[in-house]
Amino acid sequence: MSENKDILLSIRNLKTHFHVRKRVIRAVDGVSLDVRAGKTLGLVGESGCGKSITAHTILRLLPKTARIKDGEIIFHSRKRQPVDLLKLQPSGKEMRGIRGNDISMIFQDPMSSLNPVYRIGDQIVESILEHENTTRAEAMERALEMLKRLSIPSAEKRIREYPHQFSGGMKQRVMIAMGLICNPELLIADEPTTALDVTIQAQILELMQELQRQLGFTIILITHNMGIVADVADDVAVMYMGKIMEFGSKEDVFLRPSHPYTRALLKSVPVLGNSGRDLLEPIRGSTPDPSDLPEGCSFAPRCDFAKPECGQAIPYVDVGNGHLVRCVLAEGREVRDGQ
Amino acid sequence: MLKYFVKRLIMMIPMIVFISFLVFVALDLTPGDPLTAQFSPESISGLTHEQLDALREEAGLNDSLVVRYLRWFGGVLKGDFGYSIQTGTPIGSIIANLLPATIYLALAALVLSVLMGLLFGILSAIKHNTIIDYLSSLFGVIGISMPEFFIGILAILIFAIQLKWFPAQGRTEIGATFWVNLKYILLPALSLGLALTAALTRYTRNSMLDVMNKNYVKTARAKGLSEWKVFYRHVFRNALMPISVLICLRLPMLIGGSVVIEQVFGYAGIGSRLLTAINSNDYQLVLSIIFLLSIVSLLSSVLIDLITGLLDPRVRYN
Repeated sequence: MSENKDILLSIRNLKTHFHVRKRVIRAVDGVSLDVRAGKTLGLVGESGCGKSITAHTILRLLPKTARIKDGEIIFHSRKRQPVDLLKLQPSGKEMRGIRGNDISMIFQDPMSSLNPVYRIGDQIVESILEHENTTRAEAMERALEMLKRLSIPSAEKRIREYPHQFSGGMKQRVMIAMGLICNPELLIADEPTTALDVTIQAQILELMQELQRQLGFTIILITHNMGIVADVADDVAVMYMGKIMEFGSKEDVFLRPSHPYTRALLKSVPVLGNSGRDLLEPIRGSTPDPSDLPEGCSFAPRCDFAKPECGQAIPYVDVGNGHLVRCVLAEGREVRDGQ
Repeated sequence: MLKYFVKRLIMMIPMIVFISFLVFVALDLTPGDPLTAQFSPESISGLTHEQLDALREEAGLNDSLVVRYLRWFGGVLKGDFGYSIQTGTPIGSIIANLLPATIYLALAALVLSVLMGLLFGILSAIKHNTIIDYLSSLFGVIGISMPEFFIGILAILIFAIQLKWFPAQGRTEIGATFWVNLKYILLPALSLGLALTAALTRYTRNSMLDVMNKNYVKTARAKGLSEWKVFYRHVFRNALMPISVLICLRLPMLIGGSVVIEQVFGYAGIGSRLLTAINSNDYQLVLSIIFLLSIVSLLSSVLIDLITGLLDPRVRYN
């Protein structure tokens, strides 16, 4: 992860903890990532591994119980000076100017993510009017164009309808339209297809990729679905208990998985096209209590290759081509944490 | 939508007939009749059975229940409420004199409690789990659990008799200046509206907190809207729907509560008149007043549907 002009967002040693009834839950505990401009980064992990909290930290949309303990998130925008998002006030003017404008986010459940009392046109236009100096009519025109781009049939009519008149897939299209309407540089999609049925999933993902080709934005795709990552991502980050276990290009991570967790994960989920030669193998044990994580590698208690050294702080090892692995078994050039 | 509401209004008619008939029967079952209430026991015991009967006959009291009811209802349909048996004044004019004062009181109570209830509720939602929230919870419990007449008497004792800020009794006539009006209406209206204020405070708080956790509020924040815009465009607008239902549901209770509050504050309105009418078995007057109050109750339930339909696009009446 070297300094590079192509990097849009670089996260270093991010720690977001939650204080719940005197317990500290280390939801995100030292995440470092580089997001390449114009590419799609797949952030995968089991539920509860902190991937969603990472995304919410980027946009500073955390609940009150969350504390950002450490780290930096540098946003290299084309439009402005590089800025550390963690230094901004969460509801201050600067952060709000970025939110929905330069970085936008779509959520898991499109059913409940649209306000039921406003027409969808008005909800899309709200972003434009907040960030740009245009008239309402012009903004509406743009919203209509965007809905057409997202292949919403009879968009002229539907722009005046309410969310409850849309199906789940159509609602997610509206959410995407809302996210892209201000032409953002980064779109964070937090499990965008999890709540949709499988045929609609494929349509939505294809649509996102098509729009990415047309408009050139960057995507961080958060999912627990390895198949989706294999389909659409350029880079992959595998997250476990608040840490990135393995990071690299899709080819490196899928074809040469170097962390025992990644390998176990790949064996435990069906991948489309796998003709069933190999049986699925579940990962033994269960995820540790997030308020009481083991020292060193948090996967060690479930790992078949665990050694005594796993209990110490583990650096990233570059096993080649920026393919980073946080494991004592990995052999290669050791990089300082996340640098 | 219009068709739906016309239907709702038409459906009110049999309900009004039914309610007034029930009240009629209930009044008939109470011991005594208008004559025994009108005259002192001494003068009645001086009358012969024939004389009493003649008086009853004259007032139409000897007819059967159904005939008397139909006679009264037929008059109402023609706009004639009949005469008060006790005083002999036309009921129409009693209502015309007293109803506006009661509506004024109820409206004042409504406006005050909606303003205060929303304000306290919103404040405790924004500052939830702070001292402000706990204080407003305490206020909510007190307001909901104390009966109106007790609040009224307490208010008179403290603010009228001890502090002498407000008059203890009475009301203004039409034409009084704003300040004089306010002085007279404030205590009765606040006492009448306290229960609603308290209920609204709790309800607004919970409704706001509920909406604040909705995903679409996060979507609104993710658009980069300021907290204030997120709050009034997205949170408050959605919280308003259940709140408005509560307000409409409570409207009949304001009118009903005015019966007690008017008595406590010596406020000449239809409510205190209803009490004297009941005490003197003036069934014509009681019926007429109950008739009007039941129309208000039924109308407020139609109002709930109307407001819900206006506020919530998911609700459409076909």
